[in-house]
Amino acid sequence: MRAKIETKKYIIVFLITAFVFLGALYVSNRFAARRTAEVKAAEDKISLDILSSETQFALLKDSSCKAFDHSTAFSEELNSLVEKLSYMEQNLGNENPDVINLKKYYSLLQIKDYLLVGKVNEKCGVKPITIIYFYSNKGDCAECQKEGYVLTSLREEYPELRIYSFDYNLDLSAVKTMRSLYGVRNTLPALVIWDENYYGLKTAADIEKIIPQLKRLRTLHNKAKAADATNN
Amino acid sequence: MLETIFTTILYIFLFCTLYMEVFFLITFFEERAKLTHKPENPELAYHPSTTIIVPCWNEEKTVTKTVESLLALNYPKDKLNIFIVDDGSTDNTWEVVQKFKDNPQITLIKKENGGKHTAVNLAIQESTSEIIGCLDADSFVEKNALREMARAFNEDKNVMAVTPVLVVHEPQTVLQKMQQTEYYTGAFLKRMLSPLDAINVTPGPFSIFRREVFEKLGPYKKAHNTEDIEIALRMQANHMRIRNVHTAHVYTTAPNTLYKLYRQRLRWAYGTMKNTLDYRFMLFKKEYGILGMITLPISFFGVFIFLYNFGYLAFHAIKALAEKIVEISTVGFSFIVPHIDLFYFNTDFVAILSYVFLGLALFIIFNGTRLALGRFKPTAGIFYFIFLYGIVAPIWFTRAVWNVAFSRSSSWR
Repeated sequence: MRAKIETKKYIIVFLITAFVFLGALYVSNRFAARRTAEVKAAEDKISLDILSSETQFALLKDSSCKAFDHSTAFSEELNSLVEKLSYMEQNLGNENPDVINLKKYYSLLQIKDYLLVGKVNEKCGVKPITIIYFYSNKGDCAECQKEGYVLTSLREEYPELRIYSFDYNLDLSAVKTMRSLYGVRNTLPALVIWDENYYGLKTAADIEKIIPQLKRLRTLHNKAKAADATNN
Repeated sequence: MLETIFTTILYIFLFCTLYMEVFFLITFFEERAKLTHKPENPELAYHPSTTIIVPCWNEEKTVTKTVESLLALNYPKDKLNIFIVDDGSTDNTWEVVQKFKDNPQITLIKKENGGKHTAVNLAIQESTSEIIGCLDADSFVEKNALREMARAFNEDKNVMAVTPVLVVHEPQTVLQKMQQTEYYTGAFLKRMLSPLDAINVTPGPFSIFRREVFEKLGPYKKAHNTEDIEIALRMQANHMRIRNVHTAHVYTTAPNTLYKLYRQRLRWAYGTMKNTLDYRFMLFKKEYGILGMITLPISFFGVFIFLYNFGYLAFHAIKALAEKIVEISTVGFSFIVPHIDLFYFNTDFVAILSYVFLGLALFIIFNGTRLALGRFKPTAGIFYFIFLYGIVAPIWFTRAVWNVAFSRSSSWR
């Protein structure tokens, strides 16, 4: 006589399976929500820092520019944020409403930082090296992925470099204004360096040619590293 | 859109796979008490007369050890006959087995080559024992194996065949160590299928049958070089009970190279699918219990599910690899050690499910090892099985699907 399995067992197994399956979905969503919150918190912090810098800048006015601190560390925070946003975009997709909102917020923060840096430059004569980068991830920009790698690698090598990256297709009026302000065409990837527009893939060597100061920075870094090694 | 369709199919397949694993897990908890139960009297009240057939084809190197392991069995000598059948070997197998010609327990038979099943059938005809088994000439039995299996026949008159737990003999290579762990998972699954009357194979190494199986159903049939699957399915089709005895251990030599493993597994995968097709009338039929509802569907559709899941993962792995290659070709190789940030720990839905599957796999390996060895011992084989099996198995599964689709048979060697 063959062993008979009660329908109850099939149903219990189904319920447990469904519980585990939905549980995995729930846990995954919880982690995604936590990530969104983490990125949002980082953006809030950066927003507060920018506001603080703006206020400090307004307060100091004619005082010494040395007292004003809008440091490289701040730029690194933006860099770290862009990496996290990029990771979320990869995992949740570029159509995800949370990702789009975070990107909009991030773009606004970049513009605010860019404006502040401009003001500092005007008043104090400190001229940071900035690159404005327009990309698209709608599948219409074959070289954008490579340009992204180039800029990430430059960011790692030169923390002083301020790179502002914008999704060309982002539905945000401030980004559209940036686009039209610099007259950037839809021939991506596009870089704006020293108010000049460059289209198509630019390698690290190309960018170093456009910004000769980078070579000087490299020499300084190497010297600093050598000094550290000697001290240790 | 296409990505959504593929992902949806993946989710359905993952749900089915999880369902099966949960099913076995629940069965394990139902059976747990029996797994640790030890018989009050280890000696048998009754020793059924037994014939063990050793079919040989070019087994000059291993046959002696196989036969010696049978002679060392903890079983009355007058109740145990051994038939060594040389199936037209072209090496010195026949000369080697002559050393046993004066042993009263052993009968030597030589015949023209006709395939393993013909060798076994010939010996079945010659045998008059109550229970009849077969032992491949590359396998060895533990001394209590037959006693444990005979006990299963004694305890339940409805048991018509008994299978042992197979253990890889002295694994040396990475592939053999991988198979060692695979056999432990097999031991677990077979043991779980046993009380559900859902075993679909009576393996060549030391499966034992009541004589009446052959009297009622006839001898072994040629069946895609996997006659041990066919006889099991024929028994199941006739509602004959097959039990797995986890206390009976048989050691078998696992293929030591990828090519040998590929040939063996192609034969198994092809034979499983073809025999399942031959007995498709049992598929999804409640009359055949778990065999019809779970074992046979897994045997056939499981291959496709496995290949699909593998294809999905491989596609994404290749995509990630291609992106890395583009990155390296664009900016060169970066020697910077990546900083560890939990933010980047993969927690998407498929990843979370993968962690669940990994946990279940480790649970099965742990308990399978305990069934086979009596205790758990961590080995490198576990690592090889988890990380290597998923990479090599698609090779023979893909070929098996191809052969089934285009009716190309697979050979023994």
